[in-house]
Amino acid sequence: MPGGITSLFRNLFRRNAVEQALDDELQSSVELLTEEKMGEGLSRPDARRRALIELGGVEQVRSKVREIQSGRLLEDFAADVRFASRQLRKHAGFTLAVMLTLAIGIGANSTILSWMNATLFDPIPAAVQTERMITIQRGERSDHPSPPLSYDDYVDLRNRATALSGLLAYDDDFMAITGSDKPQRIYGALTTANYFEVLGVKPVLGRSLSDTAVNERTGSAEAVLGYNLWQHRFAGDPAAIGKTIQINRYTYTIVGVAPRGFTGCKSGLRTEIWLPLGMVKHVWNWEPLDDRGASWLNVLGVLRPGVSGQQADKELNLLMQRIANDFPESHRGDNQLSTDRLWRSPFGANVYLASTFMILLALAALLLVLACANMTNLLLVRSVSRRREVAIRLSLGASRWKLFRQFMVENLLIASGACAAALAITSWTARTLASFIPTLTLPLNINGRMDVRVIVATIVVSVLTAVLAGVAPALRISALPPVAVLKDETLGTGSGPQKTRLTSSLVAIQVALSLVLLTCAGLFVRSLEKAQSLDLGFDPDHVYLASFDLSPLNYSSAQAAEFQREVLTRVSALPGVQSATLADFSPLNFSIHGADIVPEGYVPRAHETVNADRGRVTPRYLKTMRTPLVAGREFDFSDTDKSQPVVMVNQALAGRFWPGQDAIGKRIQVDRTKYTVVGVTGNAKYRRIVYHPAPLVLLPLMQRYENQELVLHVRVAGDPVVYAPVIERTIHTLNRDLPLYGVTTLKSSVQMGSIFQRVGMVFAGSFGLLATVLAAVGLYGVIAYTTRQRTHEYGIRMALGASRGDVSGHVLRQGLRLALVGLAGGLAASLILTRFLRGVLFGVATNDGLTLVLVPTALLLIALAACYLPARRASSIEPAETLRSE
Amino acid sequence: MSPQRTDLLRGTLDLLILKALNLEPLHGVGISRRITQITKGAFEVSFGSLFPSLHRMEEKGWVEAEWRASENNRRAKYYRLTAAGRAQLKIEERDWNQVVRIMTAAVESV
Repeated sequence: MPGGITSLFRNLFRRNAVEQALDDELQSSVELLTEEKMGEGLSRPDARRRALIELGGVEQVRSKVREIQSGRLLEDFAADVRFASRQLRKHAGFTLAVMLTLAIGIGANSTILSWMNATLFDPIPAAVQTERMITIQRGERSDHPSPPLSYDDYVDLRNRATALSGLLAYDDDFMAITGSDKPQRIYGALTTANYFEVLGVKPVLGRSLSDTAVNERTGSAEAVLGYNLWQHRFAGDPAAIGKTIQINRYTYTIVGVAPRGFTGCKSGLRTEIWLPLGMVKHVWNWEPLDDRGASWLNVLGVLRPGVSGQQADKELNLLMQRIANDFPESHRGDNQLSTDRLWRSPFGANVYLASTFMILLALAALLLVLACANMTNLLLVRSVSRRREVAIRLSLGASRWKLFRQFMVENLLIASGACAAALAITSWTARTLASFIPTLTLPLNINGRMDVRVIVATIVVSVLTAVLAGVAPALRISALPPVAVLKDETLGTGSGPQKTRLTSSLVAIQVALSLVLLTCAGLFVRSLEKAQSLDLGFDPDHVYLASFDLSPLNYSSAQAAEFQREVLTRVSALPGVQSATLADFSPLNFSIHGADIVPEGYVPRAHETVNADRGRVTPRYLKTMRTPLVAGREFDFSDTDKSQPVVMVNQALAGRFWPGQDAIGKRIQVDRTKYTVVGVTGNAKYRRIVYHPAPLVLLPLMQRYENQELVLHVRVAGDPVVYAPVIERTIHTLNRDLPLYGVTTLKSSVQMGSIFQRVGMVFAGSFGLLATVLAAVGLYGVIAYTTRQRTHEYGIRMALGASRGDVSGHVLRQGLRLALVGLAGGLAASLILTRFLRGVLFGVATNDGLTLVLVPTALLLIALAACYLPARRASSIEPAETLRSE
Repeated sequence: MSPQRTDLLRGTLDLLILKALNLEPLHGVGISRRITQITKGAFEVSFGSLFPSLHRMEEKGWVEAEWRASENNRRAKYYRLTAAGRAQLKIEERDWNQVVRIMTAAVESV
């Protein structure tokens, strides 16, 4: 309606003219009425008075007209914002306090969200439809599953599964760029021809590996480079396409470059080169493609639109069952398949991150609820001092809705300030996720990221917070009975009890929430403490670690064995060194491998997969690690590729497969080779601290040389760090060009095994402390407020003979009652909520006695301290003065 | 029956204002008096309801306003029905008659 738009325009932009016209109209109406009354014989002043009465108040009529005018809403909102920001500026201290607590609460949440955003919600950067992708694991579910499928099984599933629109397979590991003067160790993947197409990733340069589909089994010597590798080795030169690159001493033609940010389909791991699957014989000198029994491929599928995960699960299991029936020989193990969406997929880092982030998000949510309670309380307390203002405005004709609206706008302004602060905090904290992860030799690529999704979520959370925290105080104050308030001289004692009840319960809730957070923190601390004092099965103190990789150096097996022996001899001879050993893993930093085993004489139960952790070690491994040898012997330098293959097993393996028998001399098949057991070791924790010891086989490194990363373990007297230069020098006398990396101590390396407790502790701890400060301030506020309100009463009590002790005792009791109610509630909540921590805690029950006694006691003391000041103030009341001031 | 202030339903008030203005342009006070007159003293419209209604109707384009001298030579804001306003009056009269018919029938049935 054009008329409507013109009046909207006029009302908004010609405000003054419109106001003036309305004023004129009302004035002239008063005049008309006055003359009418004068015509009835009244004097002019009387007539005017009657006219004003009949009109019903110029100001009231004017505001009623304004309310219906077009653009009023916008106009009102702008006015409310102006008014609110003036109010907030006037009480800058209050505003800052509320904003700050809210900003911390919101910032904690947006930080965790930014971390989840870049990991769980964006598991494969540059890929499309990741929400419909699944990974498949086989056998007992695990968070470190071994590859589920052989090539033939994979092809059958790919061809037959109707639930999937695509299924890719890959095998990834460290490889070496050879044949140049810059040898480099990189993480690479052998992939099926459809790899990039299934992921929906288009190379930025050249093509993908799809041309290899015709000869997937034999492969062709082509490679797609990761963007970073292209930048670093080819300086981002487009002419790299068509050039060659040597991987593990075999030459490949570069056919494409992956887009920036794409680092393969294992979340959190950085793959830098992709080769056709068929090249496995050249990369690993191994030909598993025609072996249906060799499960070496990880797979990732894309669900067809409209197909649920369960449907896919069901179909894949049916197909797998059929394959197992057709080829019983190669499917003796567990053939049960299960699928995971990428956000929690165990192929990659997400399985660990998902469980950790859920807990962190829950902790952050608790903190936010607490910040809300705090804000509500501060608003309630402040509204007391605004009662007179509100009452006056109400009696001057302001509508209750208008007042409510203005208070809500104030809350929204506070929330937007807090939101801006939280976003500023998050733009920094988003990138701190990586700093929680210790330096590792793994190609980890994990960090948080703030983007539009995080910003929108943060804004939504902020608005919700403002509404939740502000609605009760705003309702309460805009519902004041103005006359009662204005009549009430003392102000603030009017509707006291009801208001204090709300404030008090909010304080009790704060105490309860801080108890929950501190209990979580306490449990994490106890868990870490347990982890420190735990018998790991090896002695993590005084051991120096360093890694090197011989594969780029083109050593033959004999040369490599000789080199290793020489390193050990020379390092062991250094002063202060007690013993030295090499292994292809080090404990508790996710570097141990798994292997399928067939123990002699053991008949697997139906569908039981038999696998074990597998490490390769040189002589003196047990001695260096101080892991006990329970029976038999350790490896020695006479165990070579010419002697019979030997193995050491741990007690867990011997006890499970050969209970009550002597393990020494038994035969065990590990990855298709048969070994004779020569030693039994004590159980040690190599994978994660929280696990029960898994069956383990240790193979002699010197018996079979493989291109791989080796970790030098050196037990020394004193601080391992001081030995670093001399050990490095020693190795460089053997080979000047061999880079040593991952130099650290075993003590700090094993902390990776407890990283999740550590992150949990940091968060629960800092949130808990913040929560406690907020709760203490809240408690202090309420007690101080009620004490001030009752000054008069206390004065009378003291005048009537109450001692100062009586009065301060009364105040203290009041505070304690609140604190105790909060603690009881918090304790109950803790007992229920901490159950969810069970998975990440180690060696502590979630109802750990010590924690559940210490934390509430500490909080009680803090509560006492918070009540002490008001109590002292109450006891210093001068009865004569308070009574006189009335 | 003594005149009483009645909180009129908004629709009813609109109809009364349109009706009052149908004869000749009037200022606010005049409209109020005319309504009292045509309702035979039954309704005395409060100015707190009258002015907001007038301004709303002005925005809807049913009435136009102009400043001119009153009968006593005072400047006053006179409201006049527009073509749209006259059309609206027809619609409201028809609606009202319908309501009355229906309600009368309903009230008189048994």
